[in-house]
Amino acid sequence: MERTAPGAFGLHVRSVISVLVIVAAWEAAARLQLAPPLFLPPFSTVVLQLWDSTRDGTLPMDLAISLGRAFGGLFIATLIGVLAGIAMARNQLVNWLLDPFVALGFPSPKIAFLPVFIVWFGIYSLSKILLVAFACIFPIIIGTFSAARGINRSLIWSGYSMGASRLVMLSRIILPACCPRIFSAMRVALPVALITTFTAEMVAGGGGMGATLMYSQRFFESPVVFAYIVVMLAIGLLLDTAMVRIQRYIPATRT
Amino acid sequence: MTSKIEIQNVAKSYPTDSGSVLALAAANLSIKEGEFVSIVGPSGCGKSTLLYIVGGFLSADGDVLVDGRAITGPGTDRGIVFQEYALFPWLTVRQNIMFGLEQRSLSAQERKEITERLIGIIGLKGFEDRYPRELSGGMKQRVAIARTMACDPAILLLDEPFGALDSQTRELMQDELLRLWLDMRKTVLMVTHDVEEAVYLSNRICVMSARPGKIVEEFDIDLDRSIPREELMLSEPFNQLRNRVWLSVRQQAINAAEQHAG
Amino acid sequence: MPAKLPFRLMNWLWQMVPLLIFVVLWHLLSNSGLIDKAFLPEPREVFAALVDLLRGPQVVENLAITLFRSFTGLLLGAVAGVWIGLLMARSEVFRAYVTPIVGGTYSLPKSALIPLFILWFGIGSVTAICAVFLACLLPMIVNTYHGVNTTPKVLVWSAEAMGYSQRQMLTRIFLPHALPDIMTGLRIALGFSFVLAISSEMIASTNGIGKLIFMYGENGAYSYMFAAIACIVVAAFISDRIMLWLTHIWLIWHESAVSTETA
Repeated sequence: MERTAPGAFGLHVRSVISVLVIVAAWEAAARLQLAPPLFLPPFSTVVLQLWDSTRDGTLPMDLAISLGRAFGGLFIATLIGVLAGIAMARNQLVNWLLDPFVALGFPSPKIAFLPVFIVWFGIYSLSKILLVAFACIFPIIIGTFSAARGINRSLIWSGYSMGASRLVMLSRIILPACCPRIFSAMRVALPVALITTFTAEMVAGGGGMGATLMYSQRFFESPVVFAYIVVMLAIGLLLDTAMVRIQRYIPATRT
Repeated sequence: MTSKIEIQNVAKSYPTDSGSVLALAAANLSIKEGEFVSIVGPSGCGKSTLLYIVGGFLSADGDVLVDGRAITGPGTDRGIVFQEYALFPWLTVRQNIMFGLEQRSLSAQERKEITERLIGIIGLKGFEDRYPRELSGGMKQRVAIARTMACDPAILLLDEPFGALDSQTRELMQDELLRLWLDMRKTVLMVTHDVEEAVYLSNRICVMSARPGKIVEEFDIDLDRSIPREELMLSEPFNQLRNRVWLSVRQQAINAAEQHAG
Repeated sequence: MPAKLPFRLMNWLWQMVPLLIFVVLWHLLSNSGLIDKAFLPEPREVFAALVDLLRGPQVVENLAITLFRSFTGLLLGAVAGVWIGLLMARSEVFRAYVTPIVGGTYSLPKSALIPLFILWFGIGSVTAICAVFLACLLPMIVNTYHGVNTTPKVLVWSAEAMGYSQRQMLTRIFLPHALPDIMTGLRIALGFSFVLAISSEMIASTNGIGKLIFMYGENGAYSYMFAAIACIVVAAFISDRIMLWLTHIWLIWHESAVSTETA
């Protein structure tokens, strides 16, 4: 009735097999013209396109623009969100003031506000960075809030009895105690940042991966469409792996 | 007389990072029908493991025969009661007990009757529609026992059934269990760390050694259980038996400690 | 025991006061001359636009279309996700080969697939529902898997000793035990369903509230734009509340019975 778990190596082997199977099926289906080349360009063609786009600089530039926007927004969201979350957890007035907005904002699709940001801040990077910040701030506030609320009381009381000032309390006790949960919230917010950036670019243009993606779709350049999707997938994977690695090597971020 | 349960050379080892660990050395035990056998021993000696093997939940080397036939897995002939109650939290008291009845070929009417009767026996009338989270530990354990009884198994396997209860509740539950057993005379195999409990309830006690567990001593308990608990537990025969068993278990515990230190 | 109704009502109203403060500040800001009135219409104008919208068919029809797309994708994604998660937890072979696929798609922003779907299915509901379906699939799979995987051994063994087969246990033991996790996943998926439906509509569609908002923005009808956004925000909020309420009802047996508050 018991099960033996496959080793880590076994899992890797299986992952590689799955990926190879998918790629092989893709190539075969495309070559056999099971679907028109417009709908499903062969894998090899997509790889070639990837190479071309990298060589002529469009892909790296688009990537840099998009990532810049995503991280910019995430950074702002973290800065404001963490402070707001802690303030809400420690101060009743702030909590009362901000709670309805967080409650309304959290379930709402922030992308619906994109036209507002475009009207106010234009179609280039500023509007997108701010929209990303708007979208990411809610999970970060909520994560920080619950972390700050959940801090072991004895930690706080020890701080007070040692005569810690407000600032010291914040920086030496509260923030470090909340760090793991804040990091988890950021791990959740990162995909949100990427999605929001790409979607905003797809809707409004103004450069970046999403804009090029839409442009290629409009002109039926399927290899580019596929290539860019693959890159987005890879970026997402890479960044999440990076966050996991960080968690492993920086104990402060571990729960 | 053929035995109800025959445990032959049962051994169990677990694979670990540093090779395999022998949890249970060759265990041999014969249990006759209607007997109440307790297994006692130091923590980690493998007594629960043996119970799970008899229940068919764990694989092992050796054979376990019930009514002369080797078991192949869990079965409705061997009901089990766990220390953690293992009630289904999404079902009410009544539904939990009914759960045990569903696999039996009975009519809906019969199922209802049996359920109501069992609820009455365990004294939980009025709590039929409560969820486990609303019940105290003692009540939960009573439901667990009733649910197992609902399947009408020939054999009852009890894994430290009262370990999670406070001592007053534990004593009450022991009396109830004794009453049930005297009434229904099922074959019972119980694992417990409470020596007094074992002496109070069983008619045979097996003492297990430290890991790898082996049954090293057996005691036949022949007490007059018709006398009230207060008299019984203060009586000379009870105390003599208790002391002997306790010493035996203690010796095994000391051996275990020496093993670790050495 | 619910507190007396007037008290709860008073409490609820008190919690809405910051919103009123916000509206007042908004009004002052609009009229202050710091910002061009065109970019920040007064609350009064937005309110008038809202009333106008609600009286006509615009919002109701488009909102209905968006909700249809969201909930259809959500339902399909939830059903598929629960079954996949369940199978992954109970079958080693299935898990071994599906995990890399699931893990891989986790990192893909699902809205990136919208242009691909437009290529395949054109603009319209199929594209939107596909995008929503894929986005909802993942949280449902992950949460169901976790819920099933953490089923205590003693529950499984008890059921086995009562004569239940592995197949019966799927729906009688594993699924009920996973229900709290499934509801958590469902709440997350609900949020995704709105985002993907609206994203799809904004990127390319002829209808839906996302398209409506975008259109008002393009045409400079900013009060209507804000009004339409307010509608979807409220719709999403109400849906989330309903989800929390359903969770409360269906998990009444759960030890940490969920309270009807945020997160």
